[in-house]
Amino acid sequence: MTEVRLNAVQKRFGAFTAIESIDLDIKSGELVALLGPSGCGKTTTLRMIAGLEAPTKGEVLFDGHDVSDVAVQKRNVGMVFQRYALFPHMTVEKNVTFGLDVRGLPKKEISERLEEILEVVQLNKFRKRFPAQLSGGQMQRVAIARTLITKPSVLMMDEPLANLDTKLRGEMRRFIRDLQKRLGITTIFVTHDQVEAMELADRVAVIFNGKLAQFGAPQELYQQPNSTEVADFMGASNIFSAKLVAADRAETSFGTIDIMSQPGLKPGNDVYVMLRSEGIDLYPESEAPQGAQNLISGKIKAREFFGASVQYVVGAGEDITVAEQSRRLLDVGQPVVLSVQPDRVWTIAR
Amino acid sequence: MARSHDSALKERMWLWLQLSPVLLILAVLFGGALVLAVVQSLGFAPWFGVNTFPSFQYFGALWGSVSFWQSLWLTLYYATVSTVIALVMGIALALALVRTFPGKHLYKYVYKLPLMIPYTVGIALAVIMLGNGGMISRLASFFGFISDPSHFPQILKTHAGWGIIAVYVWKQVPFITLAIYAVMLGIGRETEEAAAILGANRWQILSQVTLPQIMPGVVSSTLICFAFNVGAFEAPFILGGGFPDTLPVVAWRYFNDADYTLQLQGMATVVSIALVAGIILFSYLAIYRRFERKIGRN
Ligand SMILES: Nc1ncnc2c1ncn2[C@@H]1O[C@H](COP(=O)(O)OP(=O)(O)OP(=O)(O)O)[C@@H](O)[C@H]1O
Ligand SMILES: [Mg+2]
Repeated sequence: MTEVRLNAVQKRFGAFTAIESIDLDIKSGELVALLGPSGCGKTTTLRMIAGLEAPTKGEVLFDGHDVSDVAVQKRNVGMVFQRYALFPHMTVEKNVTFGLDVRGLPKKEISERLEEILEVVQLNKFRKRFPAQLSGGQMQRVAIARTLITKPSVLMMDEPLANLDTKLRGEMRRFIRDLQKRLGITTIFVTHDQVEAMELADRVAVIFNGKLAQFGAPQELYQQPNSTEVADFMGASNIFSAKLVAADRAETSFGTIDIMSQPGLKPGNDVYVMLRSEGIDLYPESEAPQGAQNLISGKIKAREFFGASVQYVVGAGEDITVAEQSRRLLDVGQPVVLSVQPDRVWTIAR
Repeated sequence: MARSHDSALKERMWLWLQLSPVLLILAVLFGGALVLAVVQSLGFAPWFGVNTFPSFQYFGALWGSVSFWQSLWLTLYYATVSTVIALVMGIALALALVRTFPGKHLYKYVYKLPLMIPYTVGIALAVIMLGNGGMISRLASFFGFISDPSHFPQILKTHAGWGIIAVYVWKQVPFITLAIYAVMLGIGRETEEAAAILGANRWQILSQVTLPQIMPGVVSSTLICFAFNVGAFEAPFILGGGFPDTLPVVAWRYFNDADYTLQLQGMATVVSIALVAGIILFSYLAIYRRFERKIGRN
């Protein structure tokens, strides 16, 4: 399909800089999630790719060609708006066929494609209704159908699942994923939900304050964030300042631990170490393993029970959060020993 | 049973009693004047020593003359043409105002200026600018488009009425713009953007997406302007082409006649204006209702 590339793209609104500089390289047929807090510039980025907004600097390339002179209408992109932007004066049918009607396609083809897409999004029953007579999820599906029917080569979705309940959200996620795989459309998907981004995307671009913070596969972002901000945003809880005493040893306030050596980090460097809460093993003091690496002893300070899983806060010089399956429950106040494999410790330069 | 019926009745009476001040004002302001006009036009004016009520002789005399129909045509022609021109310009302006362009801030104030200037000043301006020997004709001759200001085409005091239309348009464009601009702000630009992404060109976006959504603003503002233009007096009186005049001017001439019994003829004229305007406005609203139902508003 189409490969999308942003080259040092910047966007200013008057004196306000919404996007500082973003480089993105989205492969053909890839599903990329733009992830970031509210106001970081996700929608603005999509709007520049769609051509609704012209970059102040830099260029947008489709398959290697600069599209700055290509009108919105000619870019053959699709966009599902954050607030749907359905045409309130048209029925579901009319909304969905709008893109084909304005292209002047033969009536027969339009009605065939309409039936096909209504089937896919399961809106057959609602075809004669107006947007005001639909629920949020139904409107969403109309917005998606209206876009997909035009067979765009780049599909953009601005938080398409934001207004749905949990169950419908799951359904729509699978629906979007299947469809995207089946049609192989290059898709850019905006969300500020990291779980959604990780579940759906081939790669995730994290944006903070109009800057690309990190761009990579979900597990890379989750396990190997390149900054504490990204780690924080991806839901990491245990980030502690430390000092490298050797390439593979870090001194922390809960003792010196073995870590994986990482290129670019040298002994003497001030760093952060990140311990994923599910990567830590927790033992009651009496059952502590002998001779294991990175043993940290402490005391349970708090417990949060989530049903299938349970989270403990262990006081050990720092407060360390540990998550495990709730096959057993330890009590607050109980002395425990933590153990973490060196390859589960990630180091971030400070 | 009887008791509850009784108390329901009491309640309703109390409700009417509470409403009565408002109803009284409505009746006096709107109903009273209209009833008086209708009654007089049907020959009831004992204070002039005329009482042939009910008689349709005044309507008969009025509607039987060719000049009435010429006047009606002129009235509707000025009102319609100026409303349509003002509407087209108003939509264009409102479309411009929802976009960003240099000098927009200043412009947003300037375009409202005619709203604050009285009609009579507008009419005076038209005389100064558009007359033979007016500013524009002098400029045209100065720049050599015409050899002498008096060769400037006649704009004022013709039955084509471009002077009248110019004044109406000048005064009403800001009003229509304001009404439509407000509706556009409420709608936002996203549906237009969505349409563009879906491949619609400018014209398709305007006709299929923007216009249907701004119809409430279009209808309400043109309704008011049209109704005003049908009943307006000063502009056609000063800038019009003389006999046949527009209906309000005709009515005024009757009222002003030395023969005061002609006032009844004037009342018949006024009632005719109200009838015509009423029929047109009601049909307009009925058509709009049908359109609204078609786009799913109930
Ligand atoms: N037309 C505009 N004029 C001025 N500032 C704007 C404009 N559009 C966006 N901004 C600003 O640019 C920044 C980025 O906006 P954007 O809509 O891209 O955020 P976002 O990441 O989509 O946020 P959200 O998750 O809340 O939708 C915001 O601070 C916003 O206020
Ligand atoms: Mg947004």
